[in-house]
Amino acid sequence: MHSILAVDDSASMRQMLSFTLKSAGYQVVEAVDGQDAWDKAGLHSFDLVLTDQNMPHLDGIGLTRKLREHPQFKQTPILILTTESSDQMKQAGRAAGATGWLVKPFDPVRLVEVIQKVIR
Amino acid sequence: MTACTAAHEAVPPVLPIPLAADLQDHLRAAGLDLERLQRLLADTCDTLLARFHATLAALEPLAEAAAGTDGRATAREAMRQLALAVTALQFQDLSSQLIAHTSARLHNCADQIASAAFGIDEDGEAVVAPLPERPNPVTQDEMDAGSIELF
Repeated sequence: MHSILAVDDSASMRQMLSFTLKSAGYQVVEAVDGQDAWDKAGLHSFDLVLTDQNMPHLDGIGLTRKLREHPQFKQTPILILTTESSDQMKQAGRAAGATGWLVKPFDPVRLVEVIQKVIR
Repeated sequence: MTACTAAHEAVPPVLPIPLAADLQDHLRAAGLDLERLQRLLADTCDTLLARFHATLAALEPLAEAAAGTDGRATAREAMRQLALAVTALQFQDLSSQLIAHTSARLHNCADQIASAAFGIDEDGEAVVAPLPERPNPVTQDEMDAGSIELF
């Protein structure tokens, strides 16, 4: 079973992500912000990271940058799921090493399709 | 201290004090209303999510019990339709970011009015809450699913 690290500072978003991903057969570990995700990334291995952008302590792009410096996460798909839709932010995410940029709100069916496409 | 006094004298109020006080009251009231709206939305979202999960949990055994009948397909379709509500249920995340951003702007406006009307405070500095560093991140005005871009 593939394991996904779902990162969002909104409790309701974490609930909906967990519900959607678990319903699709994935194992889900939740993190409340980028720092929490970074801490958990050191303890478990994940097949995909799905992260919000605007979070306290460490944002999604910062988390992506840190994960890409970690040998274990060099090839792991990282999707940023955020309200931000500006090209400038997308380019920043791409430069940090993100695999894709998804603008909220997410459609559960399309989210699972994208994850199936990028996960290995 | 001398420098502070000199600076205080050098910057006369640009707003009549009664008008400034009135504007501040309105802005503070609007800020408090937004905080209350934030709590209402959070509470509503929590309730909707609890009902959402409870309904799905109730439908699951119905679908199983109706195995081999049309009832199973009906129950499965009901579960599928309910799961699609996940997109709309994200309203609280978007609205809370919108409210937080607007609250920060109102707070900044109230402080700027105070600064303009009363000048610097006793410590020689006007404390003005900072504006948000970036534009409002929420540009959506409906709950249709957002775009997806793979790099």
